[in-house]
Formats: sequence, C-alpha cells, structure tokens
Amino acid sequence: MSATRTRRRSTAGWRPASWPASGLARRRMIWAYVFIAIPVIWLMIFSLGPILFSGWVSLHRWDMLSPVAEMPWEGLENYRFLLTEDGVFPKALGNTFLFAIGGVTTNVVLGMAFALLLNTRIRGRTLWRVIYFLPVITAPLALGVIFAFLFNRNYGLVNSLLILLGLPRQGFLNDPNQAMLVLIAIAVYQYVGYYVVIYLAGLQDIPQDYYDAARVDGGSPWQVFRHITLPLLRPVTLFVVVTNTIGALQVFDLVFATTAGAPANSTMTVVLYMYNTAFKFSRMGRASAMAFILFGIILAITIVQLRLFRDRTVA
Amino acid sequence: MHKRNLVVVLILALLLGAFVPVTSAQGDIKLTVLTHWGEERLLTAQQAMFDAYTAAHPGVTIELQTVPFEELLTRIVTSRTAGTSPDIYHIYNLWLPEFTNSGLLAPLPEDMEPFVAEGAAGTSVVGVTYNDQMWGVPTEVNTYLLIYNKTLLAEAGFDAPPATWDEVLEMAPLITKKDDTGAVTQVGFGVITGWDSGVVHPFMALLYSNGGQYFSDDFSTVAFDSPQGLETLQFYQTLVETGGIDQSVAWSELANGNVGMLIMANWYRATLMLSENIDYETEIGVAEIPVGPSGTESATLAYNWLWSVDAGSPNQEAAWDLIEWMNTAAGEGEPSPMGNYLVTEMGGIPSMLADQAAFSEELGDHFLAPYVASTAYARQEPVIGGSQEIKTLLQTEIEALFTGMNDAQGVLDFVVPQANAILEEFRAQSGG
Repeated sequence: MSATRTRRRSTAGWRPASWPASGLARRRMIWAYVFIAIPVIWLMIFSLGPILFSGWVSLHRWDMLSPVAEMPWEGLENYRFLLTEDGVFPKALGNTFLFAIGGVTTNVVLGMAFALLLNTRIRGRTLWRVIYFLPVITAPLALGVIFAFLFNRNYGLVNSLLILLGLPRQGFLNDPNQAMLVLIAIAVYQYVGYYVVIYLAGLQDIPQDYYDAARVDGGSPWQVFRHITLPLLRPVTLFVVVTNTIGALQVFDLVFATTAGAPANSTMTVVLYMYNTAFKFSRMGRASAMAFILFGIILAITIVQLRLFRDRTVA
Repeated sequence: MHKRNLVVVLILALLLGAFVPVTSAQGDIKLTVLTHWGEERLLTAQQAMFDAYTAAHPGVTIELQTVPFEELLTRIVTSRTAGTSPDIYHIYNLWLPEFTNSGLLAPLPEDMEPFVAEGAAGTSVVGVTYNDQMWGVPTEVNTYLLIYNKTLLAEAGFDAPPATWDEVLEMAPLITKKDDTGAVTQVGFGVITGWDSGVVHPFMALLYSNGGQYFSDDFSTVAFDSPQGLETLQFYQTLVETGGIDQSVAWSELANGNVGMLIMANWYRATLMLSENIDYETEIGVAEIPVGPSGTESATLAYNWLWSVDAGSPNQEAAWDLIEWMNTAAGEGEPSPMGNYLVTEMGGIPSMLADQAAFSEELGDHFLAPYVASTAYARQEPVIGGSQEIKTLLQTEIEALFTGMNDAQGVLDFVVPQANAILEEFRAQSGG
C-alpha cells in the first residue's frame, strides 16, 4: 500500500507543473499544442528553412540549374566580392539608402502633417481619410505603370501641366538625376495614407487634458505642438520610422515596374540587383549573400533607431 | 466515426490531395512546351500548329506555356528548381553554356543531327552548337541592320541612307526636331534602352563594321577595349552631343514615324507592317550597317533561337518527334509548320533551308531581303559562359553614355575589368 502510494507520487512528479490532472483538460491541452504546432511547423518549413538554406547557399556558387548537392563551396568569397569588387552593388546600396532616407523623412513629415489636419474638425473628414488611404490598397505594380505614363517625358500629364505653367519639360524617369526622386514621390504617394492613419490613432490617444492645461497656461499652437504633441507622438514616430525604413530598404516592385533600375543604374536598388543577380545571371550564391548583407544593414539600422529613440526618451 | 476524428481525416485527405500529382491515363503522353510568344495572335497560331500535331498523333496532348521574353530565363530557372520543367523549351542560344553545363538540356539525338546539319543554314547550325554538340533545332535567325524612314531622311535633304559613320553624324542631327516647348518630337538616330540585347547588339554590329571584335579569338578577354571599340563608343557620344541621339523619343517611335534611323533586328518587321502611322511599303527602308572609320566593309551579328528538350523529361522521344515534325516541310516546295509560323506570323527569317526556299517571295520583300542577304556574312553572337552578364554590364554603361552620365573611355574603364573577371571565372569553372 505504501509502495503504491510512493510510485503514484513519483509518476506525478514526472509531469510538467502545468500538466492538467483531468483527462478532458489534458486532451484540450494536446489539441492546443497540435494547433500551435501547425503554424510553427509551417513557419519552420516556409520561413526559417529557406532563410537557413539561403545562408548556406550564400557560401556556395550555385546557378539554380545544377543539383544542390553539387554546388561548389565558396566560403565568404561572395561577400568579399560584393563588398570589395562589385561595381554595381555599392551603387545599388547608395540608391537604396537615398530612397529610404527620402521616403521615410517625407512620410514622417507629411504623415504627421496630414494627420494633424485630419484631426481637426474639417468638413468631410472621413472622406479625406478614405482618399488618403486609397493608394495604400493599390498594387505597387499597377501604380508603377500608371506613374510611368504620367511622368513620360513627351506625353506625360505632369510635363503637360508644367508646360501649361510655362515651366520647362523635365526628363523625370528618363533623367538619371531625377528618376530616383520620382520613385520616392510615387512611394510617398502610395504609403503616406497608411502613416496618416497611424499618426491619427496616436493623436487621438493623447489626453485632451494636456491641451487644455497648455491653453490655460497661454501656450501658442507651435508651443503646444512642440512640447505636447511631438513628444507624445514619439512612440508612433518610432514605429513609422522603423517599419518604413525596413520596407524602403527592401523596395523592389515599384522600381521593377517603372524603371527596372534604369537609366544607367541610377534607380538600381539592392533587392532589384539581387533579383537580377539570381535570375538573370544565375548567381544564386551571390544573390543570397546580398540578402544577408541587406539583412545585417537593416538590423543595424533598426537597432540604432531603437537606441536613439530610447536614449531621447530617457533624456 | 467521431465527428472530431472525421474532421482530422478530412484535413489530412485534403493535404494529401494537394501533394499528389494528377496522372494522365496510361499510355497518354502530355508534352509541355514553353515559349516567349504570348501575344494573342501568336498564341492562336502556335495552338493551331500543336492542334494539327495532336490530331495526327492520338495519345499525345500538348500544353503550351508562354511568358514574356524578359521572364523566360527566370521561368526556366525556377521551374527547374521547383521540378516543374517543361518538356520542350524555345530558347535563346546565348543561354546554351549555362543550360548545357548544368545538364538542363538533352543533346540533339544523333539520328537528328543530319536533319539540322543538312537542313539548316550554316550560321544557324553554328548558332545551336556549343562545345561541338548540337543542342536543338534552330528556328528564327535574326540579324541587325539599319532601318530608316525614307520620308524623314528626304525631309532633311537626304535621298539615300548613310553608308558610313560620317554620314550618320551628318544626317542624324538634321533629322532631330523639337517643338515650340523644346520637347524633342523626332529623333535622327534612335537607340534602344532598358533591354540588354537591344543596346548591345547594335553596338556589336557597329563595332564589327568598324573592324573591331567583341571577344578575343580565344574568348579569354573582351576585345572591345581597342581603338575600334573606343571609336564606336565615341560615335555614340558624338551623336548624343550633337542631338542626333536623344532618348526623349523612344526607339519604338520608329513605328509612328518619329525616328529617322534605328539599328534593329528583322523581327521588328511585324510591328512596322501593322503600324497605322507609317506606310511600311513606301516609307521604311533597310540598309547595311554603316561602316566606321577603321572598318573596311559593313558587318553585323546574328543570333538564333532553338527548340530544345529538357534532359529530365520522361517524354524526350515524343518531344524530339514533335520538334522534328514542326520543322519538316509539309511537302515538296512547301514550308514546315514552324517556317510558316515564323514568316507569316512573325515576319522572321526561318533557319531551315526548305522554309527559306518555300518563302523565297516573302523573304524577298524590300524589308527582309537585306536581312536574308546579311545572314551570309553575319557573325554569330559568341556563345560562351558569362556572355549574358557581360552584356548587361555593358548595356548599363552604354545607357549611361546615352544620358551623358559617362563618356566613351569611362564605359571601357568600368566594364572591361569586370567583364574580363567574369570570363576568367567561367573559364576556371569549366576547367579551361
């Protein structure tokens, strides 16, 4: 009797602390794990697996046509080549940074400005919000094609308007000095509505009491914005800056649809160059190395952004 | 069965169903064919050709897959990785080194070698041969010549196309026109951009016509870093500086009567014929590539497309049978189905001699005749590993020259070391 009691105690000791005692609860827990396991396995197979495989490929030379088992080992050669010898990669990197800096800065400024406007009691506020948000749900490829027509040097609507205003015709997407700026403008047009919505939510989270108190103290609109709105929007701005930077550094579809990197690589971005390297030149190893370099850059920038914002909060 | 278990079984059945391939009835052969001819008109014509074959060959079905040219290489590569390769490819011969070294393509069966070697034009036989092995049946052969608009030349005071670069340099700026707002509405010398072959092939034709070479004889280095190569790039640079080249007007405006001259391949004929803004018969002329200051005679390049079969296809025999049928004359003096398609639907030049003979009248057309004649002296585009990458590299820098971002020497300084490194890498890979 005593021995049986001891065995039972010892068996119970092997269970996890949270393991339910009743059969029904145990079955529920098993099913819970089954349902959790499905997306986890899915993630492992379709996300983590390819990432790890891509890292492995980046250390090899592989044309995607030869069997994987036969791809020759290259070590860090792909990384060395990209960082020291490749003539296009630095340019693509520079273009991508320009796109990110231009796009993020404009999105933050315009997103906040439009949100402030839409947060006032203007007429048709809901309609304005819908209008701002519409481009967000438009496919970038479709936008790219439409804007390529609009900015056509000879027949584009934008140039026709410039001429009507007595201004000189511009090359836009054909001009190496203007093409990237046009792409930034298109990207801002597409995504600013999304950031307006985010900023609007942030503005509506700021308690009205602060504004009332500031008015009582005689604060000017600029002072109210500078010392109440802006600091309290810092978490929102952090979100906007981080997510927009990550997205901008990975830009592909818009460039692919409008310029494909032309003219003369002036709009070549890292991901587009990665695509060309992989599928046009059959250099999957080098393209994978590019992906990991970009990942490192994005990670570093994100950490810096988080630290900058955190430090400011602490200060 | 318990309801919950039933749900699990159903889910498993659905998942299993998704991964089990659909199999055809025993004995049936399904051939998949991948081409880059996706226009509705061309699709209809291809389908009619395949329908004729399947009608004569019960038990064979053909699935036609098409993608735009710019996506063809990507599709071939990704389908190989995904294990969904088609049985038959229609490919550009420049891709042969990568495709054959990786084992993607099956070599032409020995019993079909005479069919190609004796049935196709010599330049096309060279075009489908790599490492002394033929890899398919040649279809269209293309060369580059100077297409010009007679009306625009006449308006500028010229009654004949240019024969030398000096004449081009004189004529092109005079043909270029601007409107009141300063917009260039008509350009003397059109240049193709945004498409590697469209940029580099005309450059090669001009280089050859200036006595230059693209690769060294042993293909170990590029050879356009020569005085002839520099002159070719300076020719472009001068045209840009004098307004003879202006990218404001797209090269495709030739079909709308807004481009004076353009170095282009013969397959563009179909577009020109269909244009409602020019009179193909009376306005469009074709001339040999103008000769450069260091050249002695006009030269150009040719490139080929070919039908090839996937090395992993379980239906290789049937695939080669279809290819042979497509390229075999239907009767004495008659064209093959493929020849008929190439000439009547695409305005192209077929590689098979029987097709060239059957269509002698059409190929004697004022537009095509000079192209057909040029196949006799055109040099095949060199088919070596790394060519595609070098072409893209050169394309971008020539485009920079067109936009004034770079000069002739700058193009060579940027491209040549990288191009030679690519060649060296491919040579090392192939062990020679």
